[in-house]
Amino acid sequence: MCDFDFGPLEAAYDYDAIKAAISRDILRSRKRRMWRYRELLPIDGEPTIGTQVGFTPLVRADRLAKKLGVRTLWIKNDTVNYPTLSFKDRVVSVALNRAKELGFTTVACASTGNLANSVAANAASAGLKSYVLIPADLEQGKVLGSLVYGTNVIGIHGAYDQVNRLCSEIAGKYGWGFVNVNLRPYYAEGSKTMGFEICDQLDWRIPRHTVVPMASGSLLTKIHKSYNELIKVGIVDSTPFSVHGAQATGCAPISHAMKRGTDIVKPVPKPETIVKSLAIGTPADGYYAIHAMRDTGGSCEDASDAEVVEGIQWLAEYAGIFAETAGGVTVASAKKLIESGKIPHDEEVVLCITGHGLKTQEAVVGKCGEPRLIKPSLREFEEQIYAKDTAAA
Amino acid sequence: MKETQRLWLMFPTKLVTRPIIWELGKDFNVVTNIRQASVTEEIGIVSLSLDGEREDIKKAIAWLEKEGVKVEPVEINTIEG
Repeated sequence: MCDFDFGPLEAAYDYDAIKAAISRDILRSRKRRMWRYRELLPIDGEPTIGTQVGFTPLVRADRLAKKLGVRTLWIKNDTVNYPTLSFKDRVVSVALNRAKELGFTTVACASTGNLANSVAANAASAGLKSYVLIPADLEQGKVLGSLVYGTNVIGIHGAYDQVNRLCSEIAGKYGWGFVNVNLRPYYAEGSKTMGFEICDQLDWRIPRHTVVPMASGSLLTKIHKSYNELIKVGIVDSTPFSVHGAQATGCAPISHAMKRGTDIVKPVPKPETIVKSLAIGTPADGYYAIHAMRDTGGSCEDASDAEVVEGIQWLAEYAGIFAETAGGVTVASAKKLIESGKIPHDEEVVLCITGHGLKTQEAVVGKCGEPRLIKPSLREFEEQIYAKDTAAA
Repeated sequence: MKETQRLWLMFPTKLVTRPIIWELGKDFNVVTNIRQASVTEEIGIVSLSLDGEREDIKKAIAWLEKEGVKVEPVEINTIEG
């Protein structure tokens, strides 16, 4: 946190030195992991935690492209990120490597889901003591994904802002490394690797359009930063690109500010959406996300709960990828951006899909149909299934 | 015990023109120090440090919240998904 204006700190790099030290060939000679771009990440030495994270598939999704009405569509598929099936493994592994370099022996976070799972898993593999703070009323199913790693899970009674304040006080008093409090400048930089990989997988070019889900807005600002950094260090050519944001309508402070034409982000006191992983009412990087979108000619959309479910189903049925609710937000918002012409039909778009659908199964339970039940008889199969399906076709 | 707390204050429309920070410094035993501010007709957002005894700071924050100001530590979004 900046001591002058209390704004977020930003990692700074010597881009001239990095430009002299790396090339496409050098990067390509390294393992296909997020650490391939380590000169552009804020750690001093070689990474020792999360060494297998990243380099998730960039999937060309032609059937979904046709459904959405756009020429070329790519899915950056972080539903299969290692080890906890979300993009949070990128940010957490940078934060924990830096925590180790800075001498922290206890790491922590406050989270309702993906972040907690990732801190617990990566700390366990590194042998770091970890604490995960959660609101006391969080469903037990969500807590299990952290408890299994042997982390210390602490439930806190009280409103979210009171939990926020407690975490800041603990970080200050006990010297714990809270990944998204006192380690936040390092943590946030891990998101850039998603953008680096997208360009790498497109054979070193920046996609014309990228759609990014937004909670705090940090991922969008870092993907914007990653594209600009690759230009600065001479790895990609400077070509026009737009970054677009996606939020859930029940918690869309950044989207609403964009649509009002302002950069003042009005907090949402009580988020009401099934998209819990994006339900941040006071987004710390909202201002910066708005400027990143505006500066690149990008736009922003938001999706209702019903549209989110449809987005999840389309991604599964037309691209074979089962995403959590944030993925549904991204697909549904992309659909609106394409329909409105903000992403032209004859251009290329990358959708950033950030977490696996098994984490939020309740969002689609009862909405994907039911199995058809028959007796173990060929006659029944032919009458009940085959004949009906053939007639329907 | 003396301490400093760094906070983001968010003023809803109905409080935007009220001199709340002046009232805070006058009625509570805390030193207020504005570090950044953005005020429109619709909303006011201020980053503020409060110096004082821990108990006085607690009372000051409780009063702000009672008046309708949203108060967060500067490290907002501590809870993530």
